[in-house]
Amino acid sequence: MARFRNKKRKPFVKPFVQKQANVDHITGDKIPKSFVFSRGKLPGSLRQLQMDLRKLMLPFTALKLKEKRRNNIKDFLNVAGPMGVTHFLILSKTDAAPYLRVGRTPQGPTLTFKIHEYSLAADIAQCQIRPRCPSDLFKNSPLIVLSGFGTGEQHLKLTTIMFQNIFPAIDINTVKLSSCQRIVLINYNKETKLMDFRHYSIRLQPIGVSRKIRKFVQNHQVPDLRSLQDVSDFVTKAGYGSESEADDEAATVSLATDLGRVNRAASKSAVKLQEIGPRMTLELVKVEEGLCSGAVIFNAYGNIDTKGKEQQTKEEENETDDEEEEDEEDDNDGGDAE
Amino acid sequence: MAAELDEGTKKRKTSCTKSNSRNAIKRNKKLKKNHAVAENFGIRKMDRKMKKMLRKKARDYNSDDDDEDNGEKEAGNSEGEGSSDNEDSGEENIDEGNEDPEEVLADDDGEVQPGIMRFSDGCKSFQMAFKKITKTATTDDVLGPVLSAHKKLVIEKLAEEEAERKVKGEAKKEKRLLGEKGHLKPANYLDSHEKYLIGIATRGVVKLFNAVNKAQHAQKGLNPSRSKDEKAIKKRRKEAFFSQLSKTSSQTPGKVAASTIHEHGDGPEWAPLRDNYMLTNSKLKDWDKMPETMDVDDFRMPQDTHTSSDED
Repeated sequence: MARFRNKKRKPFVKPFVQKQANVDHITGDKIPKSFVFSRGKLPGSLRQLQMDLRKLMLPFTALKLKEKRRNNIKDFLNVAGPMGVTHFLILSKTDAAPYLRVGRTPQGPTLTFKIHEYSLAADIAQCQIRPRCPSDLFKNSPLIVLSGFGTGEQHLKLTTIMFQNIFPAIDINTVKLSSCQRIVLINYNKETKLMDFRHYSIRLQPIGVSRKIRKFVQNHQVPDLRSLQDVSDFVTKAGYGSESEADDEAATVSLATDLGRVNRAASKSAVKLQEIGPRMTLELVKVEEGLCSGAVIFNAYGNIDTKGKEQQTKEEENETDDEEEEDEEDDNDGGDAE
Repeated sequence: MAAELDEGTKKRKTSCTKSNSRNAIKRNKKLKKNHAVAENFGIRKMDRKMKKMLRKKARDYNSDDDDEDNGEKEAGNSEGEGSSDNEDSGEENIDEGNEDPEEVLADDDGEVQPGIMRFSDGCKSFQMAFKKITKTATTDDVLGPVLSAHKKLVIEKLAEEEAERKVKGEAKKEKRLLGEKGHLKPANYLDSHEKYLIGIATRGVVKLFNAVNKAQHAQKGLNPSRSKDEKAIKKRRKEAFFSQLSKTSSQTPGKVAASTIHEHGDGPEWAPLRDNYMLTNSKLKDWDKMPETMDVDDFRMPQDTHTSSDED
């Protein structure tokens, strides 16, 4: 008897995965990539914050990273190696507060931030009259501005280095201004020792053009001329009072190339920032030498520096002991061989 | 059934309750006829009688619903009209009701079989009881009509349930509050702090854009991927770099760090001029070892300047 064969059987097709380059094709720098995930079970708002952080880290992050409860950091580390992931952003939650850990893979260091306050991107969009989200907003990595970190303390220096390297570097000779759409600001407040974490979208507007004309050029739509006596009124009549207020001299830029339909290289443009979110108020709590492990380099709470030292010294002692033991063993082995 | 209804009508007179229908009257007449027929034809033929009785029963059964409906509909019918007719027919029907089952069901002795209740009696008592219940005015109680014996129990149970729910709700609320800890809904307006932060960020962006503008102005109209242009670009960049050096030896350099614009509150802005430049700590060895972090100091010059300076 002939056997029935499953005709529907199809050969296995390997899913096509577009590989992101590990190295920037123009400058040759290594592109930092990141994972954003959580340890432990998070409440809904924090899960949303995690999603917002992933969006912030786009495009060089895993937006749809799935994690299970039994996954530990080692699992992520194992994946991170071959995928070229250089940074981990780990959210966790205790009864006291939510925490954000930023670590370099594979060896560390790890910075632990206590999140004092946070607002989600959705909250911020909700409180704006016109939240802005152009389609290509998240296609390029954000710029980063670190402000107020120049106090010369070690842990702050380390923080700046960490955050600078979390986004790919920009070569100002080759960068296209159209790819600079977002900016992440971290502002350190000396008095309170808190960091304000903000995320803005960058928008450029030509200066000296009335709002009506700008909209007319941008939108391709026939303007509403009902209330006007003459066509010339459209150009000459001033609009609302708030128009003139924004043109701050400090915020003007002359562009290297034309940007969009409106912003010409010849004319000056005003830089306007609108917040996208998330918004966080962070406090640097702890710095560890390894990835979520190792000796504590810095601790915000009191004289833990000394404790860390003690620990270190203890560990060192242990290490030396081990070495000694090994040496002894070696000697013994040698003795046996002889 | 018919008998019962008639009794109902009889009662209506005294108790002033509901109502009468024309259908009922008609049917009573019919019944009379049937009765007469039954008397004329044989008492001897039991199956015929049985048949008749069954038919009658079926008719009564079927007409029951209609009757009630009609009764309700025609509740407002004039009482005067029905009163005189009903009295007569009612009396007759009572007799009939008494005779009919005897004819059919009674044994030779004429006694009613045990276990079989007179239809009319049962219905009457039920009617009475039901009416009594429906007549009683219920108090506007939260619990609704509940037998008084259980009232206390029910109240206790409800109170207990509510308390339980309250406790549960509070626990849930507490849990949610704990989860939401630190979650802050931003205000609709921009406060001074936010404005200050936006100002800082704007300054950063402006700095970067100006730097980009200056850098890219030099290589305008040249394609960096072509080798001929590349040389020209290199030359121009070198010139630009030297002009920068000669011009701004004391001021801030025009070219700012690549992606990272670092603003310091105090001290000179060029990193090497600061006191804490290249501060090294034995504890910070691990990340210092990594080559990338090493060369990315907080003030990295653009690549071309590195190369050009190396060449010279």
